[in-house]
Amino acid sequence: MYFNYLIKRLLSAVFVLFSILTFVFFLIHIIPGDPVEVMLGESARIADRDALRASLGLDQPINQQWLTYMNDFFHYDLGKSIYSNEHVTHLLSKHIFATFLLSLASLVVALLIAVPIGIYSAVYKGSILDKSTIFLATLGISIPNFVMGPLLILIFSLWLGWLPVSGNDGLSSLVLPALTLGSALAAILSRMIRSSMLETMQQDYIRSARARGLSEFKVLVFHALRNAALPVVTILGMQFGTLLAGAVITETIFSWPGIGQLMIESIQKRDYPIVQGCVIIISFTYVLVNLITDFICILLDPRIDAN
Amino acid sequence: MKIGVSKTNIFLIILVLLIQFFIYGCKESDRNTIAMGLSASPINLDPRYVTDAISYRISRLIYMSLVDFNESFHVIPELATWEKLSPTHYRFILGEKFREFHNGSLLTSKDVKATYQSVLDSEISSPHRASIAMIESIETVDQNIIDFKLFYPDPFFPGRLVIGILPMELINKKHNFARDPIGSGPMKILHWANDENLKLQRLSDGKIIEMITLKDPVVRVLKLLKGDIDLIQGNLPPEVIDWLSRKQLVNVEKKIGNTFTYLGFNLEDPITKNLLVRKAIAHAIDRESIIKYVMKSSARKAGSLLPPEHWAGHSALTGIEYNPEKSKMLLKQAGYGDPSSLKLVYKISNDPFRLRLATIIQQQLKSVGIKVEIRSYDWGTFYGDIKNGRFQMYSLSWVGLKMPDIFYYIFHSKSIPPYGANRGRFNDSEIDVILELAKTETSLSKQALLYKDLQENLIKSLPYIPLWYEDNVLISKFAIEGYKLRADGNFDSLMSIKNN
Repeated sequence: MYFNYLIKRLLSAVFVLFSILTFVFFLIHIIPGDPVEVMLGESARIADRDALRASLGLDQPINQQWLTYMNDFFHYDLGKSIYSNEHVTHLLSKHIFATFLLSLASLVVALLIAVPIGIYSAVYKGSILDKSTIFLATLGISIPNFVMGPLLILIFSLWLGWLPVSGNDGLSSLVLPALTLGSALAAILSRMIRSSMLETMQQDYIRSARARGLSEFKVLVFHALRNAALPVVTILGMQFGTLLAGAVITETIFSWPGIGQLMIESIQKRDYPIVQGCVIIISFTYVLVNLITDFICILLDPRIDAN
Repeated sequence: MKIGVSKTNIFLIILVLLIQFFIYGCKESDRNTIAMGLSASPINLDPRYVTDAISYRISRLIYMSLVDFNESFHVIPELATWEKLSPTHYRFILGEKFREFHNGSLLTSKDVKATYQSVLDSEISSPHRASIAMIESIETVDQNIIDFKLFYPDPFFPGRLVIGILPMELINKKHNFARDPIGSGPMKILHWANDENLKLQRLSDGKIIEMITLKDPVVRVLKLLKGDIDLIQGNLPPEVIDWLSRKQLVNVEKKIGNTFTYLGFNLEDPITKNLLVRKAIAHAIDRESIIKYVMKSSARKAGSLLPPEHWAGHSALTGIEYNPEKSKMLLKQAGYGDPSSLKLVYKISNDPFRLRLATIIQQQLKSVGIKVEIRSYDWGTFYGDIKNGRFQMYSLSWVGLKMPDIFYYIFHSKSIPPYGANRGRFNDSEIDVILELAKTETSLSKQALLYKDLQENLIKSLPYIPLWYEDNVLISKFAIEGYKLRADGNFDSLMSIKNN
């Protein structure tokens, strides 16, 4: 049953990827702006522009360009950057690892903060801590990353001197960007866990578990949290997908060489092959994360029918 | 054996992490390295392709060209001196300095020839090909002498030979100079694994110059304050520069620059082609207040494309005076007497500071009765619109202008894109005549007079409204010495910088 489901989902994923790739290809070629103009400036002669346009294949009709791109794509060739002449796959591989690391770290930070706070707020509903977490969650959601980032740098790098300001040299430089992204995510997650836990704790099976004499810890973690996790996992999956697509502002603040920065810069310069490469990675990641999320949901709740 | 995460393991992991953070916190700065914060990474370090400012400034340290420019923008010898044998025949004689490439080979006239021939090769699509299109042939006389023969006379020819010289052997092997530059300059590349970090080594004393890309200006300053980098040149918001100079936490230095900012008009548009409207706009802009309060005195008023210190500049021109009453009167004369009857679209890039300046100009124009709608675009779209004449009014800057024939390129009626940068479609036969005369005049003093005359005419016909020249700013640690700011913002002082 799971196998059939997996095949169906993979086929739909291929269709989604193909559609996105085609849509973005046409969109980026249609919008104003020409990489040849940006590259050569105004001083270049018409013949030189034409020569460069021809060498990049940009003189072909757009449908022909699309066919060429698709043909190369199915031969595992994503092309080269128009500007630096580097292979797109090489550029992507340099950036995707950094993005994955940051996304994972942010998620860990978010869970470390959100799970205990969410459970505690649900168990001690209406307590001072519960109310203060509402305040903190509102604050976490309200503070934009471009404020939170420099604020954390000021405290932990400049005043305390514990962590580097920015860059990508080892584990210590991961802490602040992960904290910036993770704190905003934790704010949403903690409130989500709280409300989901509150709903679950009203259920009969929780009362039965308590009646069977299980410890409160076991009741909360193995019975309540597992059932409350379903909506949380869905949100978490979506957020992870968003993080993998690149957190441009956080990446810029912390000079983190992620995929988001690469894509924004490439769009500005109309470096078509890189933009396409980034779109492939991002859409593939989204589809994959959604697939994994669905499977986790099935594992968590056997009542969900894979069909 | 039971494998699990015991309390001891967790404790050890936490301890290791804390030690790592502690080590980082206590890391002493490397005395042999000077780190500079950049606002953008270099894109391509092959001098045949360099077009962006950062790549150009770094490639100047790695490669040497035949000539360079001095502070008053006169052409001076760098690798070679020259003789003009006839109006279409120049001879360059290589000197003794910077004759060894970083791979150990000797720089000879053959390398010069190979470099310029590859720029002229249509297959490599160099953006600089058009600037040396007058070259008919290049001949090496001996190891040190090279002759350039031209299709037609060009009095500015020596000044066009500013492309860094590459080794012929590597050109033939199609070496990737873009990522692995090999020149004969005072610095060689040491490490460039990722875009954010580039290390150069100064050949004279082995000092390492590290270029760290930090796109966010606030983070760049925080990094300097923490001591992770030693200096920053330019690209900081004026209020941050002002705050730093008031706090006296670091050394703040300013020097007049030649980055020229202007308002451009579409002279084929029914509204902006009216000279009275353009004059009214010019009189409505209070540049003095913008420079003083918004730019925190980091600029000076401009009256022309070239700064007054340029040998072909015009020192008496400072632009159009702020006079809102005169502006209103001119608008009335132009037929826009009713308040807000004149509406204009003002296009700019999406740079936050440029957007802020645009909103101030919008407010100043509103006070004289001109309603301005600002449209801000990403660079690709904005540049495409400007080149194709899809605008009424826009603002942009010219960076690093050196030779006065730029006027021909910007204002001659034959320079309308794609033939040049006459983006406003300016067409004035009198100006065309002066431009053509100046282009063929061989005497520098006569050229200077012609260009002065031209600049006076341009301020009258106002295809551009000159706004200001932006200063170059250096922010450095107090221990840094020997960094002299240059008018065009180049990084040449890294050749002599010291950290005490």
